[in-house]
Amino acid sequence: MKRRSLINALIYASLILLAFCFIAPIVFMLVGSLKPDARVLVEAGSLSAFLPEQVSLQNYSDVFARVSFSRYLFNSLLITGSIVVAGLVVNSLAGYAFARMQWRGRDWVFAMVMMIMIVPLEAIAVPLFYEVTLLGWRDTYIVQIIPFIANAFSIYLFYTFFLGLPRELEEAACIDGAGVLRTFITIIVPNAKPAFATVTILTFLTQWGAFLWPLMVTSGEAVRPLPLGIATFYSLPPLQWGDIFAFGVMMVAPILVVFLLFQRWFVRGVAATGIKG
Amino acid sequence: MRGGLPAWLFAAPSLVGLLLFVALPFVLAIVLAFTNLRLGSPLPLEYVGLEQFRRLYNDDAFFHALLNNATFALVVVPLQTGLALLLALLLNHRLKGMAWFRTLFFMPVVFPLSLVAVVWVLIFAPGANGMMNGMLEVVSLGTWTPRDFLHDPLLALPAIMLTSVWQGMGFQMVIILAGLQAIPQELYEAAAIDGASRWRQFWNVTLPQLRNTLIFVVLVTTILAFRLFDQVQIMTQGGPHNATTTAMYEAVQAAFARQQVAKGSAITVVLFVIVLLITWLQRRLLRQEREVE
Amino acid sequence: MLRLLIWGILAAVLAACDNDASEQRPISATQIEAWFHTGQAGERQVIQDQVARFNRLNSDVQVKLTLIPEHSYNAQIQAAAIAGDLPDILEFDGPYLYNYIWQGHLQSLDKLLSTALKADLLPSIIKQGSYRGHLYAIGSFDSGLGLYARRSKLQQARVRIPSSPAKAWTADEFKVVLQALAKSDDDGAVLDLKLNYSGEWFTYAFSPIIQSAGGDLIERQKYRTAVGVLNSPAALAAMTQLQSWLQSGYVDANVDDAAFITGRVALSWVGHWEFSRYSEAVGDDLVLLPLPDFGQGSRTGQGSWVWGMTATGQRAQDAARFLQFLLQSEEVLAMANANGAVPASRSAIAQSKLYRADGPLSLFVEQLTGGYAVPRPQTPAYPVITSAFQKAFLDIRNGGNVQAALDKATAIIDQDIADNKGYK
Repeated sequence: MKRRSLINALIYASLILLAFCFIAPIVFMLVGSLKPDARVLVEAGSLSAFLPEQVSLQNYSDVFARVSFSRYLFNSLLITGSIVVAGLVVNSLAGYAFARMQWRGRDWVFAMVMMIMIVPLEAIAVPLFYEVTLLGWRDTYIVQIIPFIANAFSIYLFYTFFLGLPRELEEAACIDGAGVLRTFITIIVPNAKPAFATVTILTFLTQWGAFLWPLMVTSGEAVRPLPLGIATFYSLPPLQWGDIFAFGVMMVAPILVVFLLFQRWFVRGVAATGIKG
Repeated sequence: MRGGLPAWLFAAPSLVGLLLFVALPFVLAIVLAFTNLRLGSPLPLEYVGLEQFRRLYNDDAFFHALLNNATFALVVVPLQTGLALLLALLLNHRLKGMAWFRTLFFMPVVFPLSLVAVVWVLIFAPGANGMMNGMLEVVSLGTWTPRDFLHDPLLALPAIMLTSVWQGMGFQMVIILAGLQAIPQELYEAAAIDGASRWRQFWNVTLPQLRNTLIFVVLVTTILAFRLFDQVQIMTQGGPHNATTTAMYEAVQAAFARQQVAKGSAITVVLFVIVLLITWLQRRLLRQEREVE
Repeated sequence: MLRLLIWGILAAVLAACDNDASEQRPISATQIEAWFHTGQAGERQVIQDQVARFNRLNSDVQVKLTLIPEHSYNAQIQAAAIAGDLPDILEFDGPYLYNYIWQGHLQSLDKLLSTALKADLLPSIIKQGSYRGHLYAIGSFDSGLGLYARRSKLQQARVRIPSSPAKAWTADEFKVVLQALAKSDDDGAVLDLKLNYSGEWFTYAFSPIIQSAGGDLIERQKYRTAVGVLNSPAALAAMTQLQSWLQSGYVDANVDDAAFITGRVALSWVGHWEFSRYSEAVGDDLVLLPLPDFGQGSRTGQGSWVWGMTATGQRAQDAARFLQFLLQSEEVLAMANANGAVPASRSAIAQSKLYRADGPLSLFVEQLTGGYAVPRPQTPAYPVITSAFQKAFLDIRNGGNVQAALDKATAIIDQDIADNKGYK
């Protein structure tokens, strides 16, 4: 038993050491956001990077004074939220069609979807820009939402999760004489919470930080999201690191909340979807 | 279950989306790579054949970019996966506080890359004031001379790698952890009865059982390595001497800073082919292995 | 949980719709759209006040202002242009002007502004705003670039303090100054080149030393080639000098942007925008000097944000009224006081505490009017020229071969000109 507790102590020790490395930059940011701008960098090399002498919320109020933070936050929530919700609906339906239904051309179409998974947004940004311009969508919310709802990776995740569900679920419903859609909604969805949680978190993470696309398709702050708000702080020297960090902290907070709320499901979702192979 | 019409209806909304907003623009990008298109140019659009690709072939910066992508992948993929595996193994012990640690290690993942990059620019600040320099000085007992990481041809790419590992590792860790937890306990019990040591158990039970998980992780990380962009844009702008430029950075520079859309498109086409090739190769190798088994 | 999220979004959407509805007021007057860069807090406040004042004074024309972040400003203009979404009147960074004209986005201002107003403007403003004999853009301020120094440190090092651009330090003298200053400095880094800035700064701040040496970014007769100009022996000599400062450790990396105000360095190579911060930190010890002379006389940068017009017909007349309004002495002065830039008109300069003949920044006016300031190349190729030069500068900064870096930039520029059929 002694050996056991020695091993446990070792495990804890290495975890704590690693945790310190992982958390340091975050603490640096958090503490920096509470310091006067000029002190952030001067103290970065010493321990005071992690221990503010006096705590002040000045940087936070500066952020609100310099940009309309609440507007950016609202825009980001609306855009990301819409993509997540709409994405859950259409991608889960598609994933189900690929996993559980027989139809002509299915395998061929699925291979195409897998290929599409590799294409990065940066690669298609310009042609896509021409396209949405033709549609007259510039400077709106929809131009930041619609193109990102359908997502090959999300489809893939749902696909693998649904593959792993026992077939008896649907068979029971079939005997009941329920339609496909009803089966999907009443039987499949409730059993697929982990998959939905995983896709929610992953989509939220990718969309929340979107920068290049909103920059191209919007002007003015009416519909712009948070990452463009923080860019306002980068572009003008002298850079006020305190303000940037304060903005950063406020920008991350909502994702952190989403993650903490969903994380239980997330880990299970990862285990059950194709992510883990 | 039989599908037909309902199946098409289920799949249609997202397929239409993918077709309109990914496939179509991508086909357009391929077409544009064979033209001289420039953003806003009043000159007529011309077909230039393989000219853009010929130029890329002779382009020093692009060559460096591909090299950097490859180096990045070769270092970061094993490093990040190894570290994630280690953490996952540690976290897989049923001890108190493990959920806390898991959340902690995952935290960097929720930070948008653009924000992460800015924080790390400060961490890598030159002079004794920089956090990394300060830390190395303490660790090396004062023998470290402060370096300007992001402007040092030898250190700039490793600095970006470190940033990326910090940000991306948590995600892989969760995936591997999920994989570990899915391994049936009986396998270990059986191995223990056979008298296998912990090390042998790891080698004979854990790794084979994790195989698919690890394959997935490696594949995704490799693809991401070839897409590397945000960190470069914010931390080094591809410098010094192209030491950190990447294919995606070159493409975005061409298309947006210099308005050379055609060149940018050509780069992305080449990149797509490379990634496709890697994916295909990896799958191919794995399939062969499977057949051997 | 999901339900909560959905309700949250629904509520948010409804709130947004509400917002939009309340913002729409019936407008009978012509609405003119204007773009301005986000700028510093002071500038932003002034332009917003100016728009409000203008709108009060003119019931028939109302200006609607949109603030655009500087980050990737050009990309945003290009995107809006393709979409046909450019505003009637917009601000942009001066040297991009010629590219926008070539692309066909801008209208000439020749007939829209009064001659009296044009006569009052600094010649540098007119020069930068003109292309092929027509005036296309006007700024309400210009920029100034020089060396800020701590007088006491220069005196300590026993070096000559140049009093006018004609008496600027020679490049050799400058090196001696750096050596002398470095002797009594803790870390030997005595010069701040604002290496923490990026992008356009490098071209703006360091192409003048090439011009001072007798080279340039491109030949200025026909703007057809950079060969023998940007990679000329003169340019090579100047950039090699600059690299030697860096390699001798005289230059502070300035990551915290506080090298000068904290007293780490005695010299700071920067524009007018640092004056207020510097004078606050250094007080009377602050002295402003011209950039060193590399052989053909001291040269410096000029140019800043300018207004151009896309509107035609009656809308152009209306937009021009707004521009005329911004160029009145009081308005020019209000903006210049907010951002510290050189006022664009002589009448405003005469009233400016900073820039009038006995003001602390009169050197900048002297540089702009005395032929020391060089506009950046007036060609549609400028975006490529500056991007190529910036890359060369970074290579040189990081210790690369100077000739190779300049040759590469030259080749990129010439290739671009050829690709665009000479930008005719």
